[in-house]
Amino acid sequence: MTKPPSNLLRRRLVVAGGAGLATAGFGAFTRGAHAASTTVDLPIANGHRHLVAFPEKRPLIVLTTRPPQLETPFEVFNDGLLTPNDAFFVRYHNAGIPTSIDGDRHVIRIGGNAAGKPFELTMAELRTQYKPVELVAVNQCSGNSRALFNPRVTGGQLTNGAMGNARWVGVPLKDILAKAELASSAKQVTFDGLDVALMGGGDFVKALEIGHAMNGEVMLAYTMNGAELPMLNGYPVRLVVPGYYGTYWVKHLSEIQVIDTVFDGFWMKPAYRIPDNACACIEPGTTPAATRPIGRFNVRSFITSVSDGARVPAGSPLAVRGIAFDGGQGIREVAWSADGGQSWREATLGTELSRFSFREFTFGFTPQAGAYDLRVRAFNRSGESQPMEALWQPAGYMRNVVESVKVQAI
Amino acid sequence: MKLASTHAAAVALAICVPMATAKDITLPPDGEQLEASALPGFAKAQASCTMCHSAEYMRYQPPNAGRPYWDAMVHRMKTVFKAPIADEDMPAIVDYLASTYGNKQPR
Repeated sequence: MTKPPSNLLRRRLVVAGGAGLATAGFGAFTRGAHAASTTVDLPIANGHRHLVAFPEKRPLIVLTTRPPQLETPFEVFNDGLLTPNDAFFVRYHNAGIPTSIDGDRHVIRIGGNAAGKPFELTMAELRTQYKPVELVAVNQCSGNSRALFNPRVTGGQLTNGAMGNARWVGVPLKDILAKAELASSAKQVTFDGLDVALMGGGDFVKALEIGHAMNGEVMLAYTMNGAELPMLNGYPVRLVVPGYYGTYWVKHLSEIQVIDTVFDGFWMKPAYRIPDNACACIEPGTTPAATRPIGRFNVRSFITSVSDGARVPAGSPLAVRGIAFDGGQGIREVAWSADGGQSWREATLGTELSRFSFREFTFGFTPQAGAYDLRVRAFNRSGESQPMEALWQPAGYMRNVVESVKVQAI
Repeated sequence: MKLASTHAAAVALAICVPMATAKDITLPPDGEQLEASALPGFAKAQASCTMCHSAEYMRYQPPNAGRPYWDAMVHRMKTVFKAPIADEDMPAIVDYLASTYGNKQPR
Protein backbone atom coordinates (compact mmCIF):
# COMPACT_ATOMS: atom_id res chain seq x y z
CA MET A 1 0.00 0.00 0.00
CA THR A 2 2.78 2.39 0.89
CA LYS A 3 4.65 3.28 -2.26
CA PRO A 4 7.93 5.04 -1.73
CA PRO A 5 8.54 7.53 -4.53
CA SER A 6 11.92 5.97 -5.02
CA ASN A 7 11.97 5.42 -8.75
CA LEU A 8 10.45 8.76 -9.59
CA LEU A 9 12.64 10.61 -7.15
CA ARG A 10 15.72 8.83 -8.38
CA ARG A 11 14.82 9.90 -11.89
CA ARG A 12 14.47 13.50 -10.83
CA LEU A 13 17.70 13.43 -8.93
CA VAL A 14 19.52 12.00 -11.92
CA VAL A 15 17.81 14.33 -14.34
CA ALA A 16 18.71 17.29 -12.17
CA GLY A 17 22.29 16.58 -13.19
CA GLY A 18 24.62 19.28 -11.95
CA ALA A 19 22.11 20.72 -9.52
CA GLY A 20 23.71 19.03 -6.55
CA LEU A 21 22.98 15.33 -6.51
CA ALA A 22 22.00 13.92 -3.16
CA THR A 23 24.44 11.31 -2.02
CA ALA A 24 23.66 10.44 1.59
CA GLY A 25 21.99 7.07 1.64
CA PHE A 26 21.45 7.10 -2.10
CA GLY A 27 22.70 3.57 -2.45
CA ALA A 28 20.01 2.35 -0.08
CA PHE A 29 17.34 4.30 -1.90
CA THR A 30 15.27 1.45 -3.20
CA ARG A 31 11.73 0.25 -2.77
CA GLY A 32 11.20 -0.79 0.84
CA ALA A 33 14.38 0.80 2.09
CA HIS A 34 14.10 2.65 5.36
CA ALA A 35 13.25 6.22 4.62
CA ALA A 36 15.35 7.84 7.29
CA SER A 37 18.45 7.63 5.14
CA THR A 38 17.12 9.40 2.07
CA THR A 39 17.67 13.01 1.20
CA VAL A 40 16.85 15.37 -1.61
CA ASP A 41 18.34 18.66 -2.75
CA LEU A 42 15.56 21.07 -3.60
CA PRO A 43 16.43 23.58 -6.36
CA ILE A 44 17.05 26.42 -3.88
CA ALA A 45 19.98 27.68 -1.82
CA ASN A 46 20.13 25.77 1.49
CA GLY A 47 17.72 23.18 0.07
CA HIS A 48 19.15 19.93 1.43
CA ARG A 49 16.28 17.96 3.01
CA HIS A 50 15.57 14.59 4.58
CA LEU A 51 12.75 12.32 3.49
CA VAL A 52 11.15 10.47 6.40
CA ALA A 53 8.10 8.21 6.68
CA PHE A 54 5.97 9.63 9.48
CA PRO A 55 3.03 7.58 10.85
CA GLU A 56 0.52 6.71 8.09
CA LYS A 57 2.79 8.45 5.56
CA ARG A 58 5.23 7.35 2.90
CA PRO A 59 8.61 9.13 2.93
CA LEU A 60 7.91 12.84 2.54
CA ILE A 61 10.17 15.89 2.47
CA VAL A 62 10.68 17.05 6.06
CA LEU A 63 10.38 20.79 6.48
CA THR A 64 10.26 20.40 10.27
CA THR A 65 10.09 17.34 12.50
CA ARG A 66 8.49 18.92 15.57
CA PRO A 67 5.79 19.86 15.00
CA PRO A 68 5.58 17.89 11.75
CA GLN A 69 5.62 19.83 8.50
CA LEU A 70 5.93 17.54 5.50
CA GLU A 71 6.02 18.36 1.80
CA THR A 72 4.80 16.02 -0.93
CA PRO A 73 7.51 15.09 -3.48
CA PHE A 74 6.33 16.73 -6.68
CA GLU A 75 6.43 13.50 -8.67
CA VAL A 76 3.35 12.33 -6.77
CA PHE A 77 1.21 14.88 -8.62
CA ASN A 78 1.80 13.00 -11.87
CA ASP A 79 0.43 9.75 -10.42
CA GLY A 80 -3.23 10.82 -10.50
CA LEU A 81 -5.58 13.70 -9.78
CA LEU A 82 -6.26 12.59 -6.21
CA THR A 83 -3.31 12.86 -3.85
CA PRO A 84 -3.00 9.65 -1.80
CA ASN A 85 -3.54 10.09 1.92
CA ASP A 86 -0.09 8.74 2.70
CA ALA A 87 1.48 11.36 0.43
CA PHE A 88 -0.68 14.33 1.45
CA PHE A 89 1.29 17.27 2.88
CA VAL A 90 1.27 18.08 6.61
CA ARG A 91 1.42 21.45 8.28
CA TYR A 92 1.15 22.16 12.00
CA HIS A 93 1.87 25.38 13.85
CA ASN A 94 2.33 24.29 17.45
CA ALA A 95 4.16 21.27 18.84
CA GLY A 96 1.39 20.19 21.18
CA ILE A 97 -0.19 17.90 18.62
CA PRO A 98 -2.45 14.97 19.49
CA THR A 99 -0.84 11.55 19.09
CA SER A 100 -3.68 9.47 20.53
CA ILE A 101 -7.35 10.11 19.76
CA ASP A 102 -10.39 7.92 20.33
CA GLY A 103 -12.43 8.78 17.28
CA ASP A 104 -15.64 7.52 18.87
CA ARG A 105 -15.34 9.72 21.94
CA HIS A 106 -14.22 12.87 20.17
CA VAL A 107 -16.62 15.76 20.74
CA ILE A 108 -16.99 19.12 18.98
CA ARG A 109 -18.31 21.92 21.18
CA ILE A 110 -20.45 24.54 19.41
CA GLY A 111 -21.03 27.82 21.22
CA GLY A 112 -19.96 31.45 21.34
CA ASN A 113 -21.73 34.65 22.35
CA ALA A 114 -23.81 34.69 19.14
CA ALA A 115 -24.99 31.09 19.44
CA GLY A 116 -28.37 30.97 21.19
CA LYS A 117 -28.26 27.24 21.79
CA PRO A 118 -24.77 25.88 22.45
CA PHE A 119 -24.42 22.13 22.13
CA GLU A 120 -21.93 19.29 21.93
CA LEU A 121 -21.66 17.13 18.87
CA THR A 122 -20.19 13.65 19.07
CA MET A 123 -18.54 11.99 16.10
CA ALA A 124 -21.29 9.36 16.11
CA GLU A 125 -23.92 12.11 15.81
CA LEU A 126 -21.95 13.85 13.09
CA ARG A 127 -21.82 10.62 11.08
CA THR A 128 -25.39 9.47 11.60
CA GLN A 129 -27.65 12.47 12.21
CA TYR A 130 -26.57 14.70 9.34
CA LYS A 131 -26.71 14.09 5.62
CA PRO A 132 -23.17 13.69 4.33
CA VAL A 133 -21.90 15.44 1.24
CA GLU A 134 -18.92 14.57 -0.92
CA LEU A 135 -16.57 17.02 -2.61
CA VAL A 136 -13.23 16.80 -4.37
CA ALA A 137 -11.20 19.83 -3.32
CA VAL A 138 -7.62 21.01 -3.32
CA ASN A 139 -5.98 21.97 -0.05
CA GLN A 140 -2.98 24.22 -0.51
CA CYS A 141 -0.75 25.77 2.12
CA SER A 142 -0.64 29.58 2.00
CA GLY A 143 3.13 29.35 1.86
CA ASN A 144 3.31 26.68 -0.83
CA SER A 145 6.33 27.55 -3.04
CA ARG A 146 7.64 30.15 -0.58
CA ALA A 147 11.21 28.98 -1.10
CA LEU A 148 10.95 29.99 -4.77
CA PHE A 149 10.39 33.67 -3.98
CA ASN A 150 13.00 36.07 -5.32
CA PRO A 151 14.23 37.75 -3.24
CA ARG A 152 13.81 34.92 -0.76
CA VAL A 153 11.54 35.44 2.24
CA THR A 154 11.83 33.86 5.67
CA GLY A 155 9.41 31.25 6.98
CA GLY A 156 8.78 27.64 6.00
CA GLN A 157 10.93 26.99 2.93
CA LEU A 158 8.54 24.95 0.79
CA THR A 159 8.82 24.22 -2.90
CA ASN A 160 5.67 23.23 -4.82
CA GLY A 161 4.56 20.21 -2.78
CA ALA A 162 2.47 21.78 0.00
CA MET A 163 -0.75 21.08 -1.86
CA GLY A 164 -2.98 18.10 -2.42
CA ASN A 165 -6.32 17.11 -3.88
CA ALA A 166 -8.69 14.75 -2.07
CA ARG A 167 -12.25 13.48 -2.06
CA TRP A 168 -13.75 14.68 1.21
CA VAL A 169 -16.91 13.35 2.84
CA GLY A 170 -18.48 15.24 5.70
CA VAL A 171 -21.29 17.51 6.81
CA PRO A 172 -21.92 21.08 5.67
CA LEU A 173 -21.05 23.49 8.47
CA LYS A 174 -24.31 25.36 7.88
CA ASP A 175 -26.32 22.28 8.86
CA ILE A 176 -24.53 22.17 12.21
CA LEU A 177 -24.67 25.90 12.86
CA ALA A 178 -28.39 25.87 12.06
CA LYS A 179 -28.92 23.90 15.27
CA ALA A 180 -27.09 26.50 17.34
CA GLU A 181 -29.77 29.19 16.81
CA LEU A 182 -27.50 31.96 15.63
CA ALA A 183 -28.16 35.49 16.79
CA SER A 184 -28.57 38.21 14.19
CA SER A 185 -25.44 39.79 15.67
CA ALA A 186 -23.30 36.82 14.53
CA LYS A 187 -20.28 38.18 12.67
CA GLN A 188 -17.64 35.47 12.57
CA VAL A 189 -17.17 31.80 13.39
CA THR A 190 -13.93 30.61 15.00
CA PHE A 191 -12.44 27.13 14.80
CA ASP A 192 -10.07 25.41 17.21
CA GLY A 193 -8.58 21.94 17.16
CA LEU A 194 -6.98 19.57 19.65
CA ASP A 195 -3.48 20.82 18.91
CA VAL A 196 -2.20 23.22 21.54
CA ALA A 197 0.63 25.68 22.00
CA LEU A 198 3.00 24.16 24.53
CA MET A 199 3.62 27.31 26.57
CA GLY A 200 0.06 28.60 26.46
CA GLY A 201 0.46 31.39 23.90
CA GLY A 202 -0.46 31.32 20.22
CA ASP A 203 -3.05 28.54 20.15
CA PHE A 204 -4.00 27.90 16.53
CA VAL A 205 -7.50 29.36 16.11
CA LYS A 206 -8.92 30.56 12.79
CA ALA A 207 -12.01 32.56 11.84
CA LEU A 208 -14.37 32.81 8.88
CA GLU A 209 -16.97 35.47 8.18
CA ILE A 210 -20.45 34.25 9.12
CA GLY A 211 -21.67 34.41 5.52
CA HIS A 212 -18.75 32.27 4.40
CA ALA A 213 -19.28 29.77 7.21
CA MET A 214 -22.95 29.45 6.19
CA ASN A 215 -22.42 29.22 2.41
CA GLY A 216 -22.97 25.46 2.30
CA GLU A 217 -19.52 24.72 0.89
CA VAL A 218 -17.55 24.75 4.14
CA MET A 219 -17.75 21.28 5.68
CA LEU A 220 -16.65 19.12 8.58
CA ALA A 221 -14.90 16.25 6.83
CA TYR A 222 -14.47 12.83 8.41
CA THR A 223 -13.24 10.85 5.43
CA MET A 224 -10.52 11.60 2.92
CA ASN A 225 -10.27 9.59 -0.30
CA GLY A 226 -12.64 7.00 1.15
CA ALA A 227 -10.71 6.40 4.36
CA GLU A 228 -10.45 7.97 7.78
CA LEU A 229 -8.22 11.00 7.87
CA PRO A 230 -4.60 10.26 8.71
CA MET A 231 -3.82 11.54 12.19
CA LEU A 232 -1.45 14.15 10.76
CA ASN A 233 -4.17 15.44 8.43
CA GLY A 234 -6.66 16.06 11.23
CA TYR A 235 -8.20 12.79 12.42
CA PRO A 236 -11.05 12.33 13.22
CA VAL A 237 -12.55 15.47 11.67
CA ARG A 238 -11.23 18.60 10.05
CA LEU A 239 -12.67 21.71 8.49
CA VAL A 240 -12.68 21.78 4.69
CA VAL A 241 -12.92 25.27 3.24
CA PRO A 242 -13.13 24.72 -0.53
CA GLY A 243 -11.08 27.15 -2.61
CA TYR A 244 -9.43 28.71 0.44
CA TYR A 245 -5.89 28.30 1.67
CA GLY A 246 -5.17 25.48 4.07
CA THR A 247 -4.71 27.79 7.04
CA TYR A 248 -8.50 27.70 7.49
CA TRP A 249 -8.78 23.92 7.27
CA VAL A 250 -8.51 23.41 11.05
CA LYS A 251 -7.50 19.85 12.00
CA HIS A 252 -8.79 17.69 14.88
CA LEU A 253 -11.69 20.15 15.03
CA SER A 254 -12.94 20.41 18.62
CA GLU A 255 -14.49 23.83 19.11
CA ILE A 256 -16.65 26.12 16.98
CA GLN A 257 -17.65 29.53 18.32
CA VAL A 258 -20.08 31.93 16.71
CA ILE A 259 -19.12 35.44 17.81
CA ASP A 260 -20.39 38.98 17.35
CA THR A 261 -16.92 40.48 16.88
CA VAL A 262 -13.97 40.15 14.51
CA PHE A 263 -11.58 37.59 15.97
CA ASP A 264 -8.04 38.96 16.12
CA GLY A 265 -5.95 36.09 17.51
CA PHE A 266 -2.33 35.84 16.36
CA TRP A 267 -3.07 33.44 13.48
CA MET A 268 -5.61 35.88 12.00
CA LYS A 269 -3.65 39.03 12.83
CA PRO A 270 -0.80 39.65 12.20
CA ALA A 271 -0.21 36.14 10.80
CA TYR A 272 -1.63 34.92 7.48
CA ARG A 273 -2.27 38.36 6.03
CA ILE A 274 -1.61 39.62 2.53
CA PRO A 275 -1.21 43.10 1.04
CA ASP A 276 -4.67 44.65 0.78
CA ASN A 277 -4.58 45.47 -2.93
CA ALA A 278 -5.72 43.86 -6.15
CA CYS A 279 -2.57 41.83 -6.82
CA ALA A 280 -1.87 41.02 -3.14
CA CYS A 281 1.66 42.07 -3.97
CA ILE A 282 4.20 44.82 -3.29
CA GLU A 283 7.67 45.79 -4.44
CA PRO A 284 10.26 43.46 -2.90
CA GLY A 285 11.65 44.79 0.34
CA THR A 286 8.80 47.22 0.99
CA THR A 287 6.02 47.01 3.58
CA PRO A 288 2.32 46.84 2.67
CA ALA A 289 0.26 49.92 3.54
CA ALA A 290 -2.61 47.73 4.69
CA THR A 291 -3.28 44.01 4.95
CA ARG A 292 -6.23 41.63 4.93
CA PRO A 293 -6.59 37.97 5.89
CA ILE A 294 -5.50 35.59 3.14
CA GLY A 295 -8.49 34.14 1.27
CA ARG A 296 -9.06 32.19 -1.91
CA PHE A 297 -6.44 30.44 -4.03
CA ASN A 298 -5.31 32.27 -7.11
CA VAL A 299 -4.93 30.37 -10.40
CA ARG A 300 -2.07 27.89 -10.71
CA SER A 301 -0.93 25.26 -13.19
CA PHE A 302 1.96 22.82 -13.25
CA ILE A 303 3.45 20.44 -15.77
CA THR A 304 3.84 17.15 -13.90
CA SER A 305 4.99 14.66 -16.52
CA VAL A 306 8.37 16.19 -17.28
CA SER A 307 10.66 18.02 -14.87
CA ASP A 308 12.90 21.02 -15.31
CA GLY A 309 16.24 20.00 -16.78
CA ALA A 310 14.93 16.81 -18.37
CA ARG A 311 16.23 15.37 -21.62
CA VAL A 312 13.68 14.12 -24.13
CA PRO A 313 14.14 12.31 -27.45
CA ALA A 314 14.26 14.56 -30.51
CA GLY A 315 12.01 13.64 -33.41
CA SER A 316 9.55 11.66 -31.25
CA PRO A 317 6.14 12.93 -30.11
CA LEU A 318 6.32 14.23 -26.55
CA ALA A 319 3.13 13.86 -24.51
CA VAL A 320 2.91 16.37 -21.68
CA ARG A 321 0.39 16.42 -18.87
CA GLY A 322 -0.19 18.46 -15.77
CA ILE A 323 -2.67 19.95 -13.33
CA ALA A 324 -4.44 23.30 -12.98
CA PHE A 325 -6.69 24.68 -10.25
CA ASP A 326 -8.08 27.89 -8.79
CA GLY A 327 -10.19 29.14 -5.91
CA GLY A 328 -13.44 27.60 -7.07
CA GLN A 329 -14.50 29.24 -10.32
CA GLY A 330 -13.11 26.27 -12.14
CA ILE A 331 -10.53 26.13 -14.93
CA ARG A 332 -11.75 27.32 -18.33
CA GLU A 333 -8.58 26.98 -20.37
CA VAL A 334 -4.93 26.05 -20.15
CA ALA A 335 -2.56 27.54 -22.72
CA TRP A 336 0.84 26.01 -23.39
CA SER A 337 4.04 27.28 -24.91
CA ALA A 338 7.26 25.53 -25.90
CA ASP A 339 9.18 28.75 -26.60
CA GLY A 340 9.13 30.47 -23.23
CA GLY A 341 5.81 32.19 -23.78
CA GLN A 342 6.32 33.74 -27.20
CA SER A 343 3.59 31.63 -28.78
CA TRP A 344 0.72 29.78 -27.16
CA ARG A 345 -1.68 26.96 -28.03
CA GLU A 346 -4.58 25.50 -26.16
CA ALA A 347 -4.15 22.34 -24.12
CA THR A 348 -6.84 19.67 -23.83
CA LEU A 349 -8.67 19.67 -20.51
CA GLY A 350 -9.61 16.47 -18.70
CA THR A 351 -12.80 15.75 -16.78
CA GLU A 352 -13.71 18.27 -14.09
CA LEU A 353 -14.05 16.28 -10.84
CA SER A 354 -15.29 19.48 -9.20
CA ARG A 355 -14.60 23.17 -9.66
CA PHE A 356 -12.38 22.93 -6.54
CA SER A 357 -10.33 20.00 -7.85
CA PHE A 358 -7.07 19.61 -9.73
CA ARG A 359 -7.99 19.59 -13.43
CA GLU A 360 -5.86 17.56 -15.77
CA PHE A 361 -4.54 19.08 -18.99
CA THR A 362 -2.60 17.42 -21.78
CA PHE A 363 -0.79 18.56 -24.89
CA GLY A 364 1.82 17.19 -27.21
CA PHE A 365 4.36 18.15 -29.83
CA THR A 366 7.37 16.68 -31.58
CA PRO A 367 10.53 18.48 -30.50
CA GLN A 368 13.48 18.78 -32.83
CA ALA A 369 16.97 18.70 -31.37
CA GLY A 370 17.45 21.74 -29.18
CA ALA A 371 16.27 23.56 -26.07
CA TYR A 372 12.63 24.13 -25.16
CA ASP A 373 11.17 26.31 -22.44
CA LEU A 374 7.79 24.78 -21.61
CA ARG A 375 5.20 26.97 -19.93
CA VAL A 376 1.55 26.51 -19.05
CA ARG A 377 -0.86 29.26 -18.13
CA ALA A 378 -4.34 28.52 -16.81
CA PHE A 379 -7.42 30.76 -16.94
CA ASN A 380 -10.42 30.31 -14.68
CA ARG A 381 -14.05 30.99 -15.55
CA SER A 382 -13.71 34.57 -14.34
CA GLY A 383 -10.83 35.13 -16.75
CA GLU A 384 -8.27 35.30 -13.95
CA SER A 385 -4.89 33.87 -14.84
CA GLN A 386 -1.25 33.68 -13.82
CA PRO A 387 1.41 36.38 -14.12
CA MET A 388 4.40 35.82 -16.42
CA GLU A 389 6.67 37.46 -13.83
CA ALA A 390 6.41 36.37 -10.21
CA LEU A 391 4.65 38.71 -7.81
CA TRP A 392 6.17 39.32 -4.38
CA GLN A 393 4.85 39.74 -0.87
CA PRO A 394 6.71 39.70 2.44
CA ALA A 395 5.17 36.54 3.91
CA GLY A 396 5.74 34.47 0.78
CA TYR A 397 2.14 33.45 0.20
CA MET A 398 0.20 32.93 -3.03
CA ARG A 399 2.97 32.31 -5.56
CA ASN A 400 1.29 31.60 -8.89
CA VAL A 401 3.74 32.66 -11.58
CA VAL A 402 3.73 30.83 -14.93
CA GLU A 403 6.36 28.19 -14.18
CA SER A 404 9.16 27.37 -16.60
CA VAL A 405 10.17 23.78 -17.38
CA LYS A 406 13.27 23.74 -19.54
CA VAL A 407 13.92 20.56 -21.47
CA GLN A 408 16.57 19.53 -23.95
CA ALA A 409 15.62 17.40 -26.94
CA ILE A 410 18.50 15.18 -28.07
CA MET B 1 -25.58 -13.06 -6.03
CA LYS B 2 -26.37 -13.05 -2.37
CA LEU B 3 -22.72 -13.00 -1.51
CA ALA B 4 -22.07 -10.19 -3.96
CA SER B 5 -24.86 -7.98 -2.66
CA THR B 6 -23.81 -8.56 0.93
CA HIS B 7 -20.32 -7.55 0.00
CA ALA B 8 -21.59 -4.42 -1.75
CA ALA B 9 -23.62 -3.47 1.29
CA ALA B 10 -20.61 -3.90 3.52
CA VAL B 11 -18.53 -1.69 1.25
CA ALA B 12 -21.23 0.98 1.19
CA LEU B 13 -21.45 0.88 4.98
CA ALA B 14 -17.71 1.20 5.26
CA ILE B 15 -17.73 4.27 3.04
CA CYS B 16 -20.76 6.03 4.51
CA VAL B 17 -20.24 5.18 8.16
CA PRO B 18 -16.55 4.62 8.74
CA MET B 19 -15.73 2.79 11.91
CA ALA B 20 -13.95 5.26 14.11
CA THR B 21 -11.35 3.74 16.33
CA ALA B 22 -8.68 4.92 18.65
CA LYS B 23 -5.67 6.04 16.72
CA ASP B 24 -2.20 6.22 18.21
CA ILE B 25 0.93 7.41 16.51
CA THR B 26 4.57 7.66 17.51
CA LEU B 27 6.48 10.52 15.98
CA PRO B 28 10.11 10.21 14.85
CA PRO B 29 12.98 12.00 16.62
CA ASP B 30 14.12 15.42 15.44
CA GLY B 31 15.99 15.36 12.15
CA GLU B 32 18.26 18.30 12.96
CA GLN B 33 19.88 19.57 16.16
CA LEU B 34 21.01 23.11 16.91
CA GLU B 35 24.46 23.81 15.50
CA ALA B 36 27.02 23.60 18.31
CA SER B 37 28.74 26.87 19.07
CA ALA B 38 31.07 28.47 21.62
CA LEU B 39 28.72 31.44 21.76
CA PRO B 40 26.89 31.78 25.09
CA GLY B 41 23.58 31.90 23.26
CA PHE B 42 23.93 28.29 22.15
CA ALA B 43 23.08 26.78 25.54
CA LYS B 44 20.33 29.35 26.08
CA ALA B 45 18.82 28.49 22.69
CA GLN B 46 18.95 24.80 23.58
CA ALA B 47 17.06 25.59 26.76
CA SER B 48 14.54 28.04 25.31
CA CYS B 49 13.94 27.22 21.63
CA THR B 50 14.09 23.50 21.00
CA MET B 51 11.93 22.65 23.99
CA CYS B 52 8.99 23.59 21.74
CA HIS B 53 10.20 23.02 18.19
CA SER B 54 12.90 21.26 16.24
CA ALA B 55 15.97 22.97 14.83
CA GLU B 56 14.91 22.73 11.19
CA TYR B 57 13.03 25.98 11.83
CA MET B 58 16.43 27.67 12.07
CA ARG B 59 18.49 25.42 9.83
CA TYR B 60 16.41 25.85 6.67
CA GLN B 61 16.01 29.62 6.63
CA PRO B 62 17.27 31.24 3.42
CA PRO B 63 20.69 32.88 3.03
CA ASN B 64 19.20 36.37 3.31
CA ALA B 65 17.81 35.74 6.81
CA GLY B 66 19.79 38.34 8.74
CA ARG B 67 19.88 39.59 12.30
CA PRO B 68 16.58 41.56 12.10
CA TYR B 69 14.78 38.31 11.30
CA TRP B 70 16.28 36.40 14.22
CA ASP B 71 15.64 39.33 16.55
CA ALA B 72 11.99 39.50 15.47
CA MET B 73 11.56 35.74 15.86
CA VAL B 74 13.04 35.59 19.36
CA HIS B 75 10.78 38.45 20.44
CA ARG B 76 7.75 36.78 18.83
CA MET B 77 8.49 33.52 20.61
CA LYS B 78 8.45 35.32 23.93
CA THR B 79 5.57 37.75 23.42
CA VAL B 80 3.21 35.54 21.39
CA PHE B 81 4.13 31.99 22.36
CA LYS B 82 5.25 32.69 25.94
CA ALA B 83 8.63 31.06 25.48
CA PRO B 84 10.41 31.25 28.85
CA ILE B 85 13.21 33.55 27.73
CA ALA B 86 14.63 36.07 30.20
CA ASP B 87 14.94 39.54 28.70
CA GLU B 88 18.64 39.60 29.56
CA ASP B 89 19.18 36.36 27.60
CA MET B 90 17.59 37.57 24.40
CA PRO B 91 20.59 39.39 22.88
CA ALA B 92 22.80 36.33 23.36
CA ILE B 93 20.25 34.06 21.71
CA VAL B 94 19.85 36.46 18.80
CA ASP B 95 23.65 36.64 18.50
CA TYR B 96 23.89 32.87 18.33
CA LEU B 97 21.10 32.49 15.77
CA ALA B 98 22.29 35.37 13.58
CA SER B 99 25.87 34.05 13.72
CA THR B 100 24.93 30.47 12.93
CA TYR B 101 21.96 30.48 10.55
CA GLY B 102 20.67 32.37 7.53
CA ASN B 103 23.43 34.36 5.89
CA LYS B 104 26.03 33.00 8.31
CA GLN B 105 25.26 29.39 7.58
CA PRO B 106 28.01 27.29 5.99
CA ARG B 107 26.89 25.65 2.77
